[in-house]
Amino acid sequence: MNALGGIMRGGAGGRALFLRRNGPIIMVYAFILLLVVIGATQSERFLTERNLANVARQSAFLGIVALGQMLVILTAGIDLSVGSLVKVSILVSAIVMNGESANVVPAILAALALGVLVGLIHGFLINELRIAPFIVTLASLVILKGIGLTISSSPVGKASREVMMFYVQKVGPLPVIALMFFVLVILTMLLLRYTVFGKHLVAVGGNVEVAHLSGVPVKRTRYGVYVICSLTAAVTGLLWLSRMGVGDPAIGDGIELQTITAVIIGGTSLFGGRASVLGTLGGVLLLGITANLLVMLGVSQFIQGLIQGVIIVAAVALYKQEGD
Amino acid sequence: MSKPILEMRGISKSFAGVQALKNVSFRCQAGLVYGLVGENGAGKSTLMKILAGVYKADAGDIIYKGMPRLSASTGEIIASGISIIYQELALVPQMSVAENIFLGREPRTSMGLLDLGRLYARSDELLSRLGVALDTRSLVSQLTIAQQQLVEIAKALSQDADLIVMDEPSAILAGSELDQLFDIIAALKAQGVTIIYISHRLEEVFRIADEVTVLKDGEVVDSRPIGQLNRHTLVRLMVGRSLDEIFPQTDHEQGDLALIADDIATDTILDGVSLRLHAGEILGIAGMVGSGRTELARALFGADPLTRGEVRLAGATPQWKTPSQAIRAGVALVPEDRKSQGLFTALSVRINVTIPILSRLSRLGIVRRQTEEQVVEDARQRLSIVMTSPEQETQYLSGGNQQKVVLAKWLETAPAVIILDEPTRGVDVGAKFEIYKLMRQLNDRGIAIIMISSELPEVIGMSDRILVMNDGRVAGELLRENADEERIIELATLGGAEAQSA
Ligand SMILES: Nc1ncnc2c1ncn2[C@@H]1O[C@H](COP(=O)(O)OP(=O)(O)OP(=O)(O)O)[C@@H](O)[C@H]1O
Ligand SMILES: [Mg+2]
Repeated sequence: MNALGGIMRGGAGGRALFLRRNGPIIMVYAFILLLVVIGATQSERFLTERNLANVARQSAFLGIVALGQMLVILTAGIDLSVGSLVKVSILVSAIVMNGESANVVPAILAALALGVLVGLIHGFLINELRIAPFIVTLASLVILKGIGLTISSSPVGKASREVMMFYVQKVGPLPVIALMFFVLVILTMLLLRYTVFGKHLVAVGGNVEVAHLSGVPVKRTRYGVYVICSLTAAVTGLLWLSRMGVGDPAIGDGIELQTITAVIIGGTSLFGGRASVLGTLGGVLLLGITANLLVMLGVSQFIQGLIQGVIIVAAVALYKQEGD
Repeated sequence: MSKPILEMRGISKSFAGVQALKNVSFRCQAGLVYGLVGENGAGKSTLMKILAGVYKADAGDIIYKGMPRLSASTGEIIASGISIIYQELALVPQMSVAENIFLGREPRTSMGLLDLGRLYARSDELLSRLGVALDTRSLVSQLTIAQQQLVEIAKALSQDADLIVMDEPSAILAGSELDQLFDIIAALKAQGVTIIYISHRLEEVFRIADEVTVLKDGEVVDSRPIGQLNRHTLVRLMVGRSLDEIFPQTDHEQGDLALIADDIATDTILDGVSLRLHAGEILGIAGMVGSGRTELARALFGADPLTRGEVRLAGATPQWKTPSQAIRAGVALVPEDRKSQGLFTALSVRINVTIPILSRLSRLGIVRRQTEEQVVEDARQRLSIVMTSPEQETQYLSGGNQQKVVLAKWLETAPAVIILDEPTRGVDVGAKFEIYKLMRQLNDRGIAIIMISSELPEVIGMSDRILVMNDGRVAGELLRENADEERIIELATLGGAEAQSA
């Protein structure tokens, strides 16, 4: 071996490294398991098919947007507008659909177009005007919310029958909506592992300067990721329509914080460059099951918030310990 | 004369009032090696960044392969056959070695997906062609800086470029790694690749360059075939005056014992190192990159926890386990990786220099601005730092001037023991001399210095004693009188016991 080879050593041993990197995520799942055990022993309703299907659906509602949020955070960005966009999406699609089966496709297209448009605007402001993502999407949160409340402050429009049926549809024991989330989880994993776009997301978040010097299309990557994130919010608006049956303007508030929470619990770094799909899934399930359990056990809303806060701090502290 | 592959004509560039380049012209023939030298802040990196499309020139033309080059993105320029190894490492720490090598040019399958098989196969092949044994799946954040530099080189080679710019590639390589780099350059040259090589180590320039261009204050001073130059004339062109003496002479007395380390070991590579350091002495630490030199510095400073042994000031019990305790005890460390460890790159020179001593500069918690400015001005003069104002963000200083700011910052803390990890990396000849003089002055004030360096002439020229490290241990100790390059390399590569029997 030549001298140059002599000084080169690979990384730490494979298994130890795996545990070190994924230890906290394993803890998240262990905690989920613990919650399930608590649920099963403390309430006979928890392990019923009906309740589990509910938990799965609720997790999907949060999880789909959380995936988009995770991708944005991976690029060292953030999207605070997703909640407001869900709101506008449910209102617009409900109005377009107006209870008619014939309008389902136009309503879906309208929601998706809305998502693309909002994502492109975010990308434009961040790329071309160099405004920080936090500011851009904060403004967008306020504006979209305003638009939503201007459209209507009381429920409007109506879902068609099929769309309302979609919410309760199942494949075997699994709600279709949960299945849809599951497929998106897999797709996101594949995106990060097997696509050039996925690698560019990591590069932009890891070190945008280096990405630029290496010829990575930084702007296009940012446009892409904000469009994807807004699309996840638009789709979630459609799912809410399917659940509520009407365009309810109360829907959407706070989703941005919940998704960010789930992503952080999942071990994705807010500074960019590192993300975990399995972690985000864990974060989503953890939040979903906690909420479900607390309601079942009759815990007050205030205590629920407190517990969620504790979970966030505990999770982040855990990652810090393992990370260094 | 054959047609040039590259011609840069009348290039000018200024940054917020600083004229970095003035009407610079530079041309290259295919298959030759061009040395580009000049003091810190002369504009070398700026010229190359204009070539790479990172900056746009204010005026001037670039003619590449016979065609005027109009505005193009960094990606298009890479695709046109120009690749650059940047002075500051340009890798994404969270990505694997292979992903970094092909970042922006990822191999794809026919379906447009990332071709992971080819990505890793081609990276493995590339590294083995370079003679580098490195797992292409490991994350760049886990590599040492020298390993990262090798990845940078591999990345540049993977682009199958016709013109490769190397901006101080040797700054973090030493000994045989450097030979390896020169072998690579020779091989590239034989394939007709043009190389532009920037370095402050003039012996390297003499070793590989066919032609040398000297920049000074943003202007071309001269361009000459290497045959018409010697070290003396080259230094004069660069600095504007003669500089015959390289290492300032000294006749200081060795003082009392200052720092003691007994059999220290850490979780990193360090495995049982003992040393004694005296007041007013320079202890040089030599060894290959990866032999534990930097780890030794970190352990002495309390940055890595000891698993065995102890470090203390002479005549005292151990007082520090963390860097902040070490600083209070009078120990300073000037780290090797200035960008991530030594500088607040987004903050001004003033803040960087005065941050460790703010309490000294303030009364009732309010910083006295005038005193602060005086300190910065003193540092600027003493180290001849080139900056537009004390308020300039350090990220916009040239590489060598950043290094001076880091040094200035620690010198202000007036430590009893100062550990310098590669203190002259990226520093020009003139400033190097200034830093050497400064080290001697510190010695005269009784300050003990540990100097880690990959530059053997510097180790031999400056140290009173030299410890040679190998694989986390001390392979041997040499006094300045009987140290020479061969002896050090022998100890560094073979380790103590084998070198004895060899
Ligand atoms: N982005 C920038 N903004 C402001 N000033 C800059 C910027 N980049 C470079 N400069 C200034 O331009 C001048 C030339 O810098 P450059 O980095 O090209 O020097 P260099 O010859 O590469 O020096 P070194 O040997 O230290 O690397 C310096 O005075 C530097 O402060
Ligand atoms: Mg430079």
